[in-house]
Formats: sequence, structure tokens, C-alpha cells
Amino acid sequence: MKHASFIFGSWGITAVSVAAYAVWIIRRGRELAKHATSEEMPWT
Amino acid sequence: MAGQSGTGTSATRRLGIVVILMLGVLALCGLWFSAEDVVQGSTVRIMYIHVPSIWTAYIAFAMTAVCSGVYLSAKNRSLAWDRVAGASGEIGVLFVAVSLVTGSMWGRLTWGTYWVWDARLTSTAFLFITYIGYLAVRQLGGTHRQRARRSSVLALLAILEIPLVHFSVSLWRSLHQEASVANPNAKVELDGLMLFSLFLGLIAFTLLFVWLLLHRQRAMMLEDAFSDRGLDVAITARRNEAGA
Amino acid sequence: MDLTPRTSTEPGAQAPTRKRRWLPMLIVVGALLGGGVVVTKFLTSAIDYYCNVDEVGVRSGCSGERRMRVQGVVEQNSVKQADGGTTFILDFNKKTLKVAYSGDPGGIFQECIPIIAHGRVVNGVFESDRIEVKHSNQYVEKNAKRIDQSNKEAAACSVLKG
Repeated sequence: MKHASFIFGSWGITAVSVAAYAVWIIRRGRELAKHATSEEMPWT
Repeated sequence: MAGQSGTGTSATRRLGIVVILMLGVLALCGLWFSAEDVVQGSTVRIMYIHVPSIWTAYIAFAMTAVCSGVYLSAKNRSLAWDRVAGASGEIGVLFVAVSLVTGSMWGRLTWGTYWVWDARLTSTAFLFITYIGYLAVRQLGGTHRQRARRSSVLALLAILEIPLVHFSVSLWRSLHQEASVANPNAKVELDGLMLFSLFLGLIAFTLLFVWLLLHRQRAMMLEDAFSDRGLDVAITARRNEAGA
Repeated sequence: MDLTPRTSTEPGAQAPTRKRRWLPMLIVVGALLGGGVVVTKFLTSAIDYYCNVDEVGVRSGCSGERRMRVQGVVEQNSVKQADGGTTFILDFNKKTLKVAYSGDPGGIFQECIPIIAHGRVVNGVFESDRIEVKHSNQYVEKNAKRIDQSNKEAAACSVLKG
């Protein structure tokens, strides 16, 4: 594939940034949930 | 304490699996099965993430504005609207950044340059900076209601930039091409599997946005609750002192 | 009950929402400055007139030897490369302009593609030092059209010109 580094690079940057953000919010949620009461977590 | 379940539910887990599967199919279609473009060759494959990224940013910023408007106009002024607005703005900033980076790489291959101060690129950069400012304004301190009020007003002003970004290619002479699907002629300018891949990307990224939004606004709800709890503890201490 | 504010000596006892937050303030100031820079760059980059080929020498701002940006389509069979430079004919609205570019244009530069050339007209030739290649909003599958190499350029011309 011509220009493979640019094409896979752009897909890679997208995947890594979105995955990093997703992991961060999941970890943040888990960390906060450890100290939360069930009233503070109406979705549970 | 509620335990370790975090911000997930069975519904978000199912949605997450659907999103991962769709993104996998998108990668196969976008990078493998779809044909090269007759003029651009394989560089067209960047479009399948670039366009869905800016689409998601538009949706996110529109959601921020709608929730901010509801917050300001609703009688009870529920902070839940403000949290959804804030979470959505944060996700929008992520996707507009992705869109700028992927667009710049695509530009290098097609236009021959990473960046030009052209109407579409400039207005998108301005949009990005505006929402960075929006997120910073949310962190300035004060009570939750002060945060909600000032950021809601800003969100309602910032959303006015979206039409400017979208129509910049027709308002000014721009290096950026006009829309291939959402154009004024209502004519779809993409062939077969290219069109499918693009639509798959739009749907997958939209569902990804919903998944991220659900988790982020729940985490924000907990952040607010902990902050309130700190205040509650202080008030209780004062009450105890007064009663003693 | 006493509700007057107190200054606590205990670290971390202050409610976090009451803290003065310098980093967000700096980011807000940075965003305002950044926005100003972006707008300024856009306005200063628009100083060079943006002219179509048929406006060169006709429209106010598109004549003389002043620096401008010229938009047009690279004429078929007109591209010639010699001595590290590239010359070609630019078409627009049945008018043509000879362009001499000092280098090898990047991107997807080819015949029949719309471009924007930056430079100035000297002795009837547009001497360009920067070329940006535009691409249309049409995307056509290469395989589906079964285009062979010999008629590829002609097909690209028909695609680009609509």
C-alpha cells in the first residue's frame, strides 16, 4: 500500500488516543466508585 | 459503599462490545476491502476516520449546547444536564483533535502540505481552542451551580461556530473539498464500499461517543458527589459545634 | 449556628471547589491568545489575492506583478519537468496561464487536477514557489471502473471536471 506509514499512522493515532481516553474514564470511574455509596450511583 | 462496579452497567458493556465489533469491521473495510480512489489512491483510507471524527465532535458540541440550554431554561436547574454538557464537551475536544491530526496527515499526502491557513482548517482550529477554553472555564472553581451557569452560557455561544466551520468551504474559497454527502446538491459523491465504509464509521463513532458519554458523565456525577460530601462534612461539623 | 467562613490550618480541609485554580486560568488566557493568533494567521494569509486563471490581469488585485494565489486545473499533457523545476499550463473558464514552479509539486499533483499556485506573474509566466493540490469531493473506486493506465488520466480529467 502506497503511503502506508501515513495511513496506518493516522488510524493508529486515532485508536491510541480514543483507547487511552476510554481507559482513563473507566479507571477514574472505578476509583471513584470504590468510595461511593449506592445512593451516589443511581445506575447500579 | 456501593462496591467496585464503576460506571459500567450491563447495557454499557453490551454497547461497548457492539462498538468494538463495528470498529473492527470498519478497520477491515476501510483499510482492506474498500477500493482505492481513482485520483487519491490509498490515501482515501484516512477519510474513514477523519470524517467520523469531526462528525462526532459536531454531535458532542451540539449535545453540550442542548444540555446547557436545558440547564439554563429548566425550572429545577438539574446539574445532571451540566454534567452531560461537560462530559460531551470533553469528548468533542478529543475528537476534534483527532480530526485535526488525521486531516493534517491526509493533507500532506493530497495537498502536499500539512497545514494551510485556509477557512476550513482555521475555523476548525478555532473551534478546538474555544472548547479547550470551555473545559478550562469548567475548572475555574466556585460552586457546581456557578460552574454550570458560566459554562452553559459559553457553550451556547461556542455552538455558533459549528455552522461557520461546516459552511466555510462554500463561504470562502477553500483548499478543502466540499462535503461529499451532506452537500447542498444532496448528491452522494462516493462509490459503493467507500460509501458503506464511511457510513459504518459514522455509526460506529456515534455509538462510541454514546458509550464514552455514559461513562464520563457518571464519573463526573461521582466527582460532584464527593465534592459535595466534603462540604456536607464541614456543615455537619458546624452543626455539631452549634449543638454542643 | 456559626456560618462565618474559617481559615483552616489543617491541610486539605478547604472545600476543593473554593480553591483558586491557576492552571485553568492560564489555560483560559492561553485559549484567548491562541484564538487571536489563529484569527490573525487566517487574516494575514488572505492578504495575497485569490484569483481564478480567467481573472489574472483582469480583476482588481489580480493584475501586475503583485503576489497572488491562482486557482485552476492543470491542463492535460502540459506538465514538463526540467532542471529541477516543473512547468505546466493552468486552465480555468477557457483561459490559460503558463506556470513555472521551482521544484517538484507534492501531494497528488497530476494533470487534470485543480491546484492553487502561490507566486507572481513575470513576463506573462506565473512564477510559483508554492503549490497546493485541491481534490474534488468525488470519490471513485479505482477497481470498479476498470481503468487501465492508458486512459487513467483522461478518466481523471472527466471525473474532476464533472
